[in-house]
Amino acid sequence: MSLRDKPMKKYLMSIVLFFWVVIPFPVFAGVPLDTVKMHVDKVLDVLRDPSLKAESSKKLKRDKIRAIAETMFDFTELSKRTLAQNWSTFSPEQQKEFIGLYKSLLEDTYADKIMMYTDEKILFTKEVPLTEKTVEVQSTVIRKTDEIPMNYRVIQKEGAWVVYDVVVEGVSLINNYRSQFREILVNKPPESLLETLRKKVGKA
Amino acid sequence: MKRICRLILIVMLVSYPTVLQAQAFDEPDTTVHAFPVPAHSVAELLDLPRPSSLSDAPVKGEAPIIIVAQAIAGEEIPSRELAPSVEKEAPEEGEEEVPLIADPLAPINKAMYHVNDKLYFWLLKPVTQVYSHTVPEPFRVVFSNAFDNLWAPSRIVNNLLQLRFKAAGNEFIRFIFNTIAGIGGLGDVATPALGIKKQEADFGQTLGHYGAGHGFYLVLPLFGPSSLRDGVGLAADRFMYPLSYISSSNLTFGEAAGIFAGEKVNDASFHIGEYESFKESAIDPYVAMRDAFVQYRQKKVEDSKKPPE
Repeated sequence: MSLRDKPMKKYLMSIVLFFWVVIPFPVFAGVPLDTVKMHVDKVLDVLRDPSLKAESSKKLKRDKIRAIAETMFDFTELSKRTLAQNWSTFSPEQQKEFIGLYKSLLEDTYADKIMMYTDEKILFTKEVPLTEKTVEVQSTVIRKTDEIPMNYRVIQKEGAWVVYDVVVEGVSLINNYRSQFREILVNKPPESLLETLRKKVGKA
Repeated sequence: MKRICRLILIVMLVSYPTVLQAQAFDEPDTTVHAFPVPAHSVAELLDLPRPSSLSDAPVKGEAPIIIVAQAIAGEEIPSRELAPSVEKEAPEEGEEEVPLIADPLAPINKAMYHVNDKLYFWLLKPVTQVYSHTVPEPFRVVFSNAFDNLWAPSRIVNNLLQLRFKAAGNEFIRFIFNTIAGIGGLGDVATPALGIKKQEADFGQTLGHYGAGHGFYLVLPLFGPSSLRDGVGLAADRFMYPLSYISSSNLTFGEAAGIFAGEKVNDASFHIGEYESFKESAIDPYVAMRDAFVQYRQKKVEDSKKPPE
């Protein structure tokens, strides 16, 4: 009832105003989308660069994409969220090794995949807030006979928006790997998962 | 406020005496406090006993609550009868809840997965490679449109069943327009000319729309990952496929199989390399495929509850 009081209302309003003016907004509409779009455009530029078209420059191309991925993704966040409650069962050294191996796995498999992309159009449609810190940037890959919704989940870290999950046609990358890793971790120690990963990325 | 509601809900659930062994939760408050649970896992808690995908898991009735509650309390999950993907955990903040599926037929499914894998590498892929070298892409796009147009009746019916009248209307207009102006659906003229996009809908999705769970995971020969629900859906959609009716009177079995194979091969010609890179990226392709199927279908069901674009 006190809210109906005029002075009280005024007081509340001034508080709201105070926060509005003094506290800078941590989230600016459009920044997450622009960040993701910038990175994706950079990748597309590399893919379409005529000077890199030759088969011999494949490695250079891959290195360039890898460098972009490095700033675009937060592999630590990605690893933590993939392992979820299993993360804490890893020792700090194991965690560090896991991040490295998981990163190589994703880079190896997805760099090849993305290098097949040539004339697909990518439309960035909108961004949807997920939590206070995370946003989903939605895009559509337009191909010859179909369209694929591809969403990037980003989190703000040290002022920058970094990707921690990619959701393709409703399939979340980290959820998909979590279900596979959990299968291993359910009755084997973290070391055994690391061993599997080492073999997979050829660092055994 | 949200936190308090959350806490009350969890305490209510945890102290529910007929469901839980009391001794495991001497101090429910502290246990809950020590383990931050995001709001949606509470929703999961409340959802679990409902007839959903879990109800067909070997453990029935109240059991899922016990499992979840113990998982929350950070204890060992005792049951090994559940498929590993059914085990619950509290996801970190901002994560989607992980969709679940029971897999009691895992040995058969795994065998069928390998059969399909071999079918792809030994049959579908080589045939498709020859096909896509022989038939230029513009023709393949035309065939793809024509095959797709034949599925329009099924999309219309399913959109209607989901009470998505606008989507059903759009599909109806597309079907008529593409069949006539696109000459039997050879060209998808409705998308550029009328600005009407395809409105995907299938019977498995319709069943999910009304709350039916998957039942259990099923790997079908040729069709790949499916479930009891979606397998039924696949059969139902076949009933709405025009060629199913022509085939009984005018087409021989061989011709009908030829059309089916043609659709498969034509479709595959746009996706060569995708299965390979999926396999390459997976640690356990069987589990990866099962999880991707569940997530993909979950999205389809969620989409069916949203208004059309």
